[in-house]
Amino acid sequence: MSIAAPELAPGLGTAPRRRRERFDAIRAVVAKDLTAVRRSKAVVLPMLLVPVLLLIVLPLVIGLMASNSPAVSVEDFLGRLPAGVADPITSLPREEQMVVLINGYLLAPLFLIVPLMISAVLAADAFAGEKERKTLESLLHLPMPDRDLFLAKLITAFLPALAVSWIGFLCFATVANTVAWPVMHRLFLPTKLWMVMILWVAPAVAALGLGVMVRVSARARTAQEANQLGGAVILPLIFLAMGQATGLLLVDLPVAFAIGAGLWALALWLIARGARRFTRDSLAAKV
Amino acid sequence: MAWQPSAGELAIETRGLTRTFPSGRAVDDLTFDVRRGEVLALLGPNGAGKTTTIRMLNGVLAPDAGTARVAGLDPVAAGDEVRRRTGVLTENAGLDERLTARENLAFAARIRGLPTGVAAERAGVLLERFGMAADADRQVTGFSTGQRKRVALARALLHDPEVLFLDEPTSGLDPAATRDVVAHIGALASEHGRTVILCTHFLGEAGKLADRMAVLHHGRLEAFGTPEDLAADLWSGLAADLDLGTTAGPDVRARIERVAGVHEVHPTVDGAALLVRDREVLPEVVAALVQAGVRVYASTPRPPTLEDVYFELEARRAAPPPAPHEGAAA
Ligand SMILES: Nc1ncnc2c1ncn2[C@@H]1O[C@H](COP(=O)(O)OP(=O)(O)O)[C@@H](O)[C@H]1O
Ligand SMILES: [Mg+2]
Repeated sequence: MSIAAPELAPGLGTAPRRRRERFDAIRAVVAKDLTAVRRSKAVVLPMLLVPVLLLIVLPLVIGLMASNSPAVSVEDFLGRLPAGVADPITSLPREEQMVVLINGYLLAPLFLIVPLMISAVLAADAFAGEKERKTLESLLHLPMPDRDLFLAKLITAFLPALAVSWIGFLCFATVANTVAWPVMHRLFLPTKLWMVMILWVAPAVAALGLGVMVRVSARARTAQEANQLGGAVILPLIFLAMGQATGLLLVDLPVAFAIGAGLWALALWLIARGARRFTRDSLAAKV
Repeated sequence: MAWQPSAGELAIETRGLTRTFPSGRAVDDLTFDVRRGEVLALLGPNGAGKTTTIRMLNGVLAPDAGTARVAGLDPVAAGDEVRRRTGVLTENAGLDERLTARENLAFAARIRGLPTGVAAERAGVLLERFGMAADADRQVTGFSTGQRKRVALARALLHDPEVLFLDEPTSGLDPAATRDVVAHIGALASEHGRTVILCTHFLGEAGKLADRMAVLHHGRLEAFGTPEDLAADLWSGLAADLDLGTTAGPDVRARIERVAGVHEVHPTVDGAALLVRDREVLPEVVAALVQAGVRVYASTPRPPTLEDVYFELEARRAAPPPAPHEGAAA
């Protein structure tokens, strides 16, 4: 019952592992974590429920309401906004205004909850959950550089957050366009603003959720504790974003770009700090 | 033999290994050597520093001071290279509950870069060997502690490691499971010269399995060597049991004590326990008793067990000198 362990050639003690092998190990961690997550309902359910509510049910209800009462005026509301900001909407035919305002603009910031929540929940599971399940120590005893392990954990949280956001947006655009068809007679989504949200701001928000949870998970003992701590940091951000929603997202694209850039900078700073602290020694000292 | 043995006679060397936590010094100036193919028991009560020592040897924790070499490599500088040559059974098995036994093994194999086919075959063989074949595709959630330990043991052996660290392999197991795991470890230890470090506070299993023992207390190495060597340092003389069919009364004990070379006599249920200068004293004792009309059924020298040694060390620690024996490297 012997097998040759690869690359145990004598004298090659410190030879770096081949790049492909390191890549395989990272993929193994990501695949393992995602398999495990898929099997725990407590994690999967909210991750499916929230996007379904926000990106399918909500636009459906709003779209149907707007299409069935096209005469409702949004001019009062639009009139209170700074001149110029509301132009793209006020220039539309009246019956199109409400559906474009809500599904085209007002839901955009709400949509960001999806990448934020998913990356945060998965990061809590990947970082603090490993401690909680007492699997961290045996993981640390495997031959994998700290950096690669950290990277794998980031990918575990980031990729699904992006995937769900993008698939969710496709569903959202389909639903919103479909229910608005009787009024619009054209596809109005995605708008340019939505494209910026999807491709630039949503990934930034996912990264920010990740950065916060990496930080918070270093202290938390359980994934739930990390979620609570993280929620205390992230929720105010959400409310701030929603409070600013109208003023913020009806503004022009350069501002949306700049906000995305700011979020990216903050997220990358948090992640870089997390990476520096993510060493075997400091992890093992907390096991 | 699958792994390429690294050069030299020693599998592990430590020199002044030390690690302090905010709560205090966990490992203090540890120096010892482990020979290739040897089973070393790291003995000590909870909190003695056994787990911390293993973590430092495997490059998971960095020492504050001192150095170590494992399989000829420095765990601080070449941690991953050391970890590719070692296998660890951690105190709590550390399996992912949401994966099956087989998936847990496959994951470790992928991290270790084993080819998928080889890994699957070997996982099958090991799970079979540890009696887990029937449960291999069940999620770990429902497993007993004993089943988990066996799966984790299989995982630690997947890559045929040169050095095997076993941290409290029988803690939390019932007697039957304990006997089972100890038997498996015994078989592993004798297998093609693998070095095994066995951390435990159960003396029985250490006595059965280990060639040498290192006794840790508050992070310090209190004794190191074979039970026989340590016994020779602790006691002058040899213990022996006399079977007299019944407890030795005062007059019988007095008669024994008069024989030259007898140091101590204590009554036992079926006779007496003696401490004598050496083997040659025993026939004299028997002769003296026979002469006095006492029936002697057996006289058995009893070399000290690891347990005797350990408890003697503990007793001397409680009631200090004669100068406690300092452990030394081989
Ligand atoms: N990560 C840690 N942080 C703080 N103290 C620790 C840590 N790990 C171990 N210790 C302390 O170091 C000592 C040795 O612990 P350990 O090596 O786990 O002993 P053992 O495995 O022999 O039971 C104990 O007093 C323990 O409380
Ligand atoms: Mg321990």
